[in-house]
Amino acid sequence: MAFLQALLDGLMLGGVYAVISIGLTLVFGVVCIVNFAQAEFLMIGMYVAYFVWRYLGIDPIFGSLISFAVVFVMGYFVQQFLIQKVLRAPEVAQIFLTVGILICLENLALICFGSEYRSVQTPYQNEAVEFFGLIISMPYLIAFAVSGVAGGLIWYLLTQTWWGRAVRATAQNPMAAKLMGINTDQMYRIAFGLGVGLTAFGGAIILPYLTVSPTVGSQFGVLMFTVVVLGGLGNIMGAVAGGIGVGIIQSLSGLFLPIQLQNLALFVIFISTLALRPEGLIKKS
Amino acid sequence: MKKNRQSDHPSISITASQSTRRQVLKSLSAITLASTYPFVVRAQTKAVNIGVILPLSGPNAQFGINSRQGIELVADEINNSGGIKNLGGAKINLVIADSTSTPTMAATVAQRMIAENDCCAILGAFASSLTLAISEVTERRGVPLLTMSYSDQLTGRGFKTVFQVTSKGSAIGKAQLDYAVQLSGNTKVNKVAIMYEDTAFGTSTASGLRAAAKAANIEVVMDEAYPLGIIDVTPLINKLRASKAQIVFPVSYLNDSLLIVRALRQQKINLPIVGGSAGYVIPDFTQALGDYANGVLSICSANYDLDTTLTNKYRARYNAFMVHEALEHAVALDVLVQSIGIAKSTAADAITQILRNTTFTEGWAKTMTNGKVKFDETGLNIYAEPVMVQWQKNELVTVWPKNFAKGKLITRKVM
Repeated sequence: MAFLQALLDGLMLGGVYAVISIGLTLVFGVVCIVNFAQAEFLMIGMYVAYFVWRYLGIDPIFGSLISFAVVFVMGYFVQQFLIQKVLRAPEVAQIFLTVGILICLENLALICFGSEYRSVQTPYQNEAVEFFGLIISMPYLIAFAVSGVAGGLIWYLLTQTWWGRAVRATAQNPMAAKLMGINTDQMYRIAFGLGVGLTAFGGAIILPYLTVSPTVGSQFGVLMFTVVVLGGLGNIMGAVAGGIGVGIIQSLSGLFLPIQLQNLALFVIFISTLALRPEGLIKKS
Repeated sequence: MKKNRQSDHPSISITASQSTRRQVLKSLSAITLASTYPFVVRAQTKAVNIGVILPLSGPNAQFGINSRQGIELVADEINNSGGIKNLGGAKINLVIADSTSTPTMAATVAQRMIAENDCCAILGAFASSLTLAISEVTERRGVPLLTMSYSDQLTGRGFKTVFQVTSKGSAIGKAQLDYAVQLSGNTKVNKVAIMYEDTAFGTSTASGLRAAAKAANIEVVMDEAYPLGIIDVTPLINKLRASKAQIVFPVSYLNDSLLIVRALRQQKINLPIVGGSAGYVIPDFTQALGDYANGVLSICSANYDLDTTLTNKYRARYNAFMVHEALEHAVALDVLVQSIGIAKSTAADAITQILRNTTFTEGWAKTMTNGKVKFDETGLNIYAEPVMVQWQKNELVTVWPKNFAKGKLITRKVM
C-alpha cells in the first residue's frame, strides 16, 4: 500500500516536472541552445499567476494561460534581440548569455517584487481525494491533469499542424527548411517563446501548492536539467519519460531512504544512466 | 543535496557567475540603503558603526527583513532621542548587509564590516548556520557578536565574544516537547514524531526534542531530517501517517512549514501540530494558510504579548505584530547600546566587558521572558525561557507556561 501511494505521488509530481521540462528540451531541440535561464522563466510564470490571482481574483490554474502568454511574448523578444545574436557564436558565449539572463531576471525580480515569499489561497488547496485507501492531494491532481492537457496540445501542435512540421524541419536541418520557404528565424523566435512559455505555464499550475520568491528557480534548475538529460536532450517524449521517472524516483526513494537522501538516489540513477546510456532513456528518432 | 547551484550544477560556468550575482546583490542592498534610509549613510563625525548581517534574499529572506525592522525601530528610537548620551550624543550608524543563505558569504561580510566599516559590534544573522560562520570571524577579531540564533554550538565552544539573547536550541526543543506534554492534560502521550530541516537550527532543536522525549519515556516513532529547499513533503507526511504518532513536532523555516501544514490538512490528519518557532511564528504563516493556521501551536523564544508597551511601537510602524526575531534583535541592539553607554567607549574589549558583567533591566530587555537580560560566562542569556504560543484569530498568543500565559489554549478539530 505504501508502495502504491508513493508510486502515485511520484506520478503526480512527475507529470508537472515533465511539462516544465518540455519547455527546456524544446528550446534545446529547435534553437540548439542550452538555456540556463529556463528556471527563471518558471519563476516569472509563478509571479504573473500570483499577481493575476491577487489583483484579478483569477485562480492560478486559469492564470497559467496568462503566464504562458506573457512569457511567450518575453521569450519571443529575448530570442530576437539576444539569443539570435549568439546562435553562431562559440558555445561559451551562449552559456554566458543565458547565465547572464538568469542573473538579470533573478535580481530584477528581487528589485521589483522583494524577497518575501508569496502564496495564493485557493479552495481546493487543502483538499484531497481518496479512493481504495490511497490519497491524492487535490492541487497535485489538478496540476497533473492540466499538465496532461498541455502536453497533449503541444504534441498535437508539433506533429499535426503545418506550423509544427515547420518547427521540426527547422530543428532537423535549418538550411533545407529555409530552402522550402520556412522563415527559420521566425521559427526560432516562436520555439523559444513556446519553450519558456510552457515552463512558465508549469510554474503557474504548481503555485497552489508552492510559494513563489525570486530565488525559487534555483530549486528547479538542476531538476529540469536532470529530467531533460535523462530523457535525451531535445527529445520531447524523453522529457515526459524523464519527468515522470524523476518524480517516481524521488517519491519511491522516500520509502527506504531518509528524505534527506532523496536527491542522492536521483543522482545516482542519473549518473548511472549517463554512464550506460549517454544518449538518454529514449533514443532520438 | 542542497539546492545551492554552486555545488551540484552540471556546468562550471554557473560557479563563476555566482560571485557576480552576489556582488550585484551586495551593491543592490547598498543602493536600497542609500535611498530608503538616508540617516544611515549621512556621515557623522562620531557615529557608532554597528554591523547588521542578515539573510535579506534567498530562502530565509522574510526572517531577515523582520529582524532588520526590529533593529531599525530601536536605532531610530535612540537616534531620534539624542543618540548615545554618554558618548556626546553619538548617533548609531547601522551597516546592513545581505548574507544570502550561504555561511561563507556571511563570514566574508563580517570580515569586511570589521576591516573596512570599522564596526564595533555585529548583530545577526538569524539562521544559526550563518551566525556560526560569523562567530568564527568575530571571535578572531575580538568583536562582540549579539545573536538570537538558537544553535547550541554558538555558546558551546568557549567563545569569549558571542552573546545569545535567546535560549539554546536544545533547551527550546526540550521545552517544545515538555510543554506539549503538559498541555495534553490527562491524555497520556506515548508516541511522537519529529521532522526537521537539516541545517544547524533544525538539528539543534531536534536533538533537544529527542533528549526530552527520552527523559519523559516517550517513544519517537518518526525522526526525519529533510533538506531546507524541499519542494515536495508528501513522503514526509506519508511516513507520519504510518507512524501513528500522537503529536507532531516539525522544526521548519517558512516555506517548508507551509508545505507541511497544507499536506497535513489535505490528508485530514488530526494531530496537534507543535512547531519549532521560525516558520510557525511569523505573520506570513497565517497569511498563507488563512483559517488553517488557527490552533497551530509553536514553541518560541519570546513573544510580543509578554510586554506590549514597547512591542506596540512596532505594530504602529509596520502594521504587524512584532515577531520574535524582530523583538530579540531589538533587545540585542538595545543592550549593546546600553553597554556602549556604560563603557563610554566603542572599544570592542570595553563593550564585551560590560556585556558580560551587567544585568540589563531597562529598555527592550523588559520585553524578554523574566523582563531582564544577563549573559553568563558562555554568553548565554540566563533569564531567557521558551514560551508556547498558539495561533488564535491571526494573532500569536502565549499559552504556556502558566506564569507567562496571556490566553487559554484552544483546541481545533479537523473534520
